[in-house]
Amino acid sequence: MAGSDLYTGSLDLLILKATSWGPLHGYAIGRWIRQSTDEALAVQEGALYPALHRLERQGYLDEEWGLTDTNREAKFYKLTRTGRRQLQTELVRWRRYARLMTAALTAARP
Amino acid sequence: MKKTFHLSPGHDGPSEDVRREIELHLEMRAREFESQGMTRDAARKAALEAFGDRAAIEAEVRALRGTTVRVRGRREWVQELLYDFRIALRGLRRTPGFTVVAVLTLALGIGANSSLFSVLRSVLLRPLPYPNADELVQVWSDHRALGRAQPEWLPPPDFVDWRDGNRTFAGMAAYQGWGPDFTGSGEPEALGGVSVSGNYFSVLGTRPALGRLLTMADDDAGAEPVVVLSDAVWRRRFGADPGILGKQLQLNGEPWTVVGVLPPEFHPPLGVSPELFRALRRPATSGCGRGCYVWRVIGRMKPGVTIEQASADLGSIAARLAREFPGTNEKVGVWLIPLHAQITGPARDPLLALGAAVGFVLLIACVNLANLLLVRGAGRARELGVRAALGAGRGRLIRQLLTESTVLALIGGGLGFLLGAAGSRVLSTLVPDNVRHIQGIQLDGAVILFTAVLTLLSGALFGLLPALQAARPGLMGALKSGGREIGGAADRLRSGLVVAELAFAVVLLVGAGLLVRSFLLMQRVDLGYRTSGITFVGIGLPRARYPDGARALLTVDDVLSRLRGNPAMRTVEVTDLPPLSAGDQDVTAIPVGEPRRKDQPEAIWYRSVTPGYIPQMGMRLVAGRNFTPDDRRGSVEVGIINEAAAGRFWPGKNPLGRVLAQGEDSTAPRVTIVGVVASARHDGPNQPYKVELFVPFAQAPSRGPTFVLEPARDLESAMAVFRQALHEVDPLVPVAGVDRMEELVGTALSLPRLYALLIGIFAAAALLLAVLGVYGVMAYTVAQRQREIGVRLALGAAPSRIRRLVLGQGGKLALVGTGFGLLAALAVGKLIGSLLFGVSALDAPTFIAVPLILGGMTVLASWLPARRAMRVDPLVAMRDE
Repeated sequence: MAGSDLYTGSLDLLILKATSWGPLHGYAIGRWIRQSTDEALAVQEGALYPALHRLERQGYLDEEWGLTDTNREAKFYKLTRTGRRQLQTELVRWRRYARLMTAALTAARP
Repeated sequence: MKKTFHLSPGHDGPSEDVRREIELHLEMRAREFESQGMTRDAARKAALEAFGDRAAIEAEVRALRGTTVRVRGRREWVQELLYDFRIALRGLRRTPGFTVVAVLTLALGIGANSSLFSVLRSVLLRPLPYPNADELVQVWSDHRALGRAQPEWLPPPDFVDWRDGNRTFAGMAAYQGWGPDFTGSGEPEALGGVSVSGNYFSVLGTRPALGRLLTMADDDAGAEPVVVLSDAVWRRRFGADPGILGKQLQLNGEPWTVVGVLPPEFHPPLGVSPELFRALRRPATSGCGRGCYVWRVIGRMKPGVTIEQASADLGSIAARLAREFPGTNEKVGVWLIPLHAQITGPARDPLLALGAAVGFVLLIACVNLANLLLVRGAGRARELGVRAALGAGRGRLIRQLLTESTVLALIGGGLGFLLGAAGSRVLSTLVPDNVRHIQGIQLDGAVILFTAVLTLLSGALFGLLPALQAARPGLMGALKSGGREIGGAADRLRSGLVVAELAFAVVLLVGAGLLVRSFLLMQRVDLGYRTSGITFVGIGLPRARYPDGARALLTVDDVLSRLRGNPAMRTVEVTDLPPLSAGDQDVTAIPVGEPRRKDQPEAIWYRSVTPGYIPQMGMRLVAGRNFTPDDRRGSVEVGIINEAAAGRFWPGKNPLGRVLAQGEDSTAPRVTIVGVVASARHDGPNQPYKVELFVPFAQAPSRGPTFVLEPARDLESAMAVFRQALHEVDPLVPVAGVDRMEELVGTALSLPRLYALLIGIFAAAALLLAVLGVYGVMAYTVAQRQREIGVRLALGAAPSRIRRLVLGQGGKLALVGTGFGLLAALAVGKLIGSLLFGVSALDAPTFIAVPLILGGMTVLASWLPARRAMRVDPLVAMRDE
């Protein structure tokens, strides 16, 4: 992922999570990722957009055009049914990965 | 989020979408920085910095966006299509009557076309199964300048001159029939063979399955006698023995060595599949000379040479021969026929005529369905109006209606393909046997493609007009009036379709009428001889043991004397050539002492017969006497001619006692005419009378005599007696063929019967469809005008007047449709001219009967709606509104 220092696949997972409560536009998705990760996973913000569009092309996200709170026309991303399934699988995978990594990194010297 | 659209509202294109999305992000991010206390400019700068390389990201996103939009478009298109399919299927299920009628109509129409195309493609469109088959031509002598319409075979010396003198042929091969008797193991058997020049197989480009084929070395007069077997005889008679090569077969009492076996897929052009091939093994100059037409010739033109160039090349040789040998070669030209046309020619006209017929049937079926859909569309105006009101565009509605007709067509087409596969087996009997052997009839990719294209075309043909009509602007009006009112345009369209349908039906009916009348006439034709109660039994006497006719005559007389006293036989006679046998033989004939006239025939067709043959066959002697046992070898050579020959050789004179010579010089054999018989059609009911001569079998015996048996009781006991007698006289001679007269006559009529039957079926289908079309339109019109009719009745119009109104409208349609149809039918007569017999293409009875039948049926089809119109209750009709 261009300009990303996130672990592989973690940006996609965060996007899917962000849209799981309802359609959001790109800026709102970026803001949620920043705030929910304490801005610690600071990335180049622009890297969000190729990821969004790739997920849309893969059929995980659908688009809707609507108005923002400030009455601006914007593109909203909506999690599709396959996207929701993908989120479930990725969550399971991620938890397993995190557990194994944690276990490995906290293990005693052999 | 307050309001959503499915796609970007402006539809400014993918790159504009992307630019706007990113710009929005930057603005909102800048406002966030501003709210944290930055100045406007600093906030903007910070937002840009946090975003990263804007240009690069935008480019990457734009590329992604482009493919997404394309994929999404395709996906939506497919989704809409599936939706339309579901709607269509649901609609069709709701009207099962309509659906079943439509599907069956289409299945029959498409099936008939598909099966006919499979035959047509196999026979006419596929190249012959020889390498570079378009280079092959049949080479004939052209005697048209001498008044003979048929192409002639080649004399051996002419063949040699043409073969050696030309510059346009890669090779030229000659062949002629050969009928060896195979003896040795088991029953003696007469095999079908061909003698071919050594280069025959190399000209055709054939390779052996086993051993070798014939070469030029086999053609020398002194070469070892060798034969090549067909795959069929190798399997049937020799159990596919791979060790057959080098074995000797006893053929006509002589040993022949097998050197090769042909592949199973090889079929020689012309003639039914022979079982043995041998080399001609004779110098072209011996025996039969110029003017002796015995060889068939096949040529392979050099690559790139056209048939015109080849004709001109051989033509100059023929012209030189005509100058050098005016006695035999004057006015003899060259006639080249592409091998493909030569072989498939007989099947061409009937297939094209039937193809046109099934095409018309499908056209009528489509028009009929279009009409049904128009009526159906009118009934659904309300439903479509609702959809239009909900925002479906006109194109979208048309697409939905077309999907419906396509679904119908697909179901009908699928069913039709299955029907067609079954039907092509029936239709393949239309093709002469040898053509079917060579070309084979099969379903291949082209037939599937043809059926698929035809199916989609049909769907579009019957679906488009109704779809355009139903989805026309102004549907809102239909919505208001409850879908009852239909514009005059739709009425005119429906009437126009019915007129077209009737016209097509007229064309088909005329074609069918002409063919059926031809067949009936042909069936009633007096052949000029008896057509039942006799059986022809052919035998072949091998040349080795029967070197001359005298020896053959002894055997024939011996067999005859054993049969004549037998109670199983009523009569037994012998001829060298039975009627309806697809064979003929002719001889030069010059009336002695007559001034040479232009229209005088050059030759006469002849048969040798025993004295009782003419009375046994029921032929009528009109002058002179019959043959007697005294007309024997050594006595004066006599002959009996038919009336056609009497009129052509000695017009206006009594031919009795006059002499026909077989050549100009005084040594040529001559026959004295002692009798005249009524002309008979020996080649079949649809063939013209030929000039014919009968000679006594005793004076012209043949090694291939045919016994004509008239059994006293049944054929079985007569055949048993015959086999017994033949075995007693010569146990090595096989029976070559047994043909009952009834079968020969049946075969001669079977093709015309099949044409008449098939085209009759198609015409009946067309008539039924057209009449249904008239009924549909009239019934619909009456239903639609119920209120108007009610008003008229209420105002005092007599019911009979209403009936006349409706009948009059139906009659008008019939009149216009029939008029157009008859005009088109005038052209059809020409198309099928070669299939007609005894009727002109403008046959008056057909052209009178067809409009009467169609008119009658149309009136009948209008009668029921008219009766309903008469009984309209004015009160009910008007309350209905």
